[in-house]
Amino acid sequence: MNMHIYAFGSICRGEIDLGSDVDLLACVGGPAEQIDHEKYSVYRYERIQALWKEGNPFAWHLHLESRLLFSPDGTDFLNDLGKPARYIADARDCTKFQRLFDRSYHELRQSSNSATFHLSCIFLAIRNFATCHSLSLGQPIFSRKSPLMVLPSLDIDPQAFSILTRARLLSTRGYGENITNEEVVAAIKAVAIVPRWMEALRSQHSP
Amino acid sequence: MIEFNNRIDAQRVILNLVNRGIWKEELYGLSSGAIDRWVRVNGIDPAADLPRAIRESADKLFFLANKSQEQVTDEYRLLSVEVLELTQRIARIIDIV
Repeated sequence: MNMHIYAFGSICRGEIDLGSDVDLLACVGGPAEQIDHEKYSVYRYERIQALWKEGNPFAWHLHLESRLLFSPDGTDFLNDLGKPARYIADARDCTKFQRLFDRSYHELRQSSNSATFHLSCIFLAIRNFATCHSLSLGQPIFSRKSPLMVLPSLDIDPQAFSILTRARLLSTRGYGENITNEEVVAAIKAVAIVPRWMEALRSQHSP
Repeated sequence: MIEFNNRIDAQRVILNLVNRGIWKEELYGLSSGAIDRWVRVNGIDPAADLPRAIRESADKLFFLANKSQEQVTDEYRLLSVEVLELTQRIARIIDIV
């Protein structure tokens, strides 16, 4: 079967900690039932080409932070695609992540049910918001710490940020120490500044 | 169901339902790692109705997540309906548990 395998993400940035795993991408030419979809992100070649054409953040992520592990014929499929198109969907994407934050924050304040999942969604919202913002400025940051690396950075207590990171690992991998009620309360308090931070980042863009 | 926030909403509904039950540790997400942990910590029979329904809905949601917005095929619509049916099944099981 025609297939290229890549590593991407934190391992390519050297961002390794106890919660890190290895992100693997399989680019395939047809149905790929033999590939474990838990271990690999599986994409058809045409889909990857479409992501490149639309300047999708995932295309930029792969373009800037991926390493070829296997090629059936010595070619490097992603490299041969060249640079993705300019990223232009930042307004739409940032609105999407702002909405995710709003809904998750609302749920979190309503009830303690599924608090870890809501905190995990808040992590996803702020991380992706910061990444999309940085990409639209032409200085992409794909790190898990992107909210702390953009300007202005999210002014959040490091302890509270680590609670959000832990929630994400618990939700996406079932890994880590569970989050106490006190930590949930501390995190809710800490993320109250997020809407203002998001507005400050968006104000850097022309309407 | 296609839109990103709709898929998260679907996950949130399922988790809120499951976590209405009294567990030693709640279900943290619909990843296989999170489901495995929840089953293990709470001493749940992996073959029971509830974990099976949760895994099925997770499979379908992750399948939808990997599809592009333009792929609104009949198969896709069918899967969205199946997620809704699974959510209703989970709600019924939780009411019994």
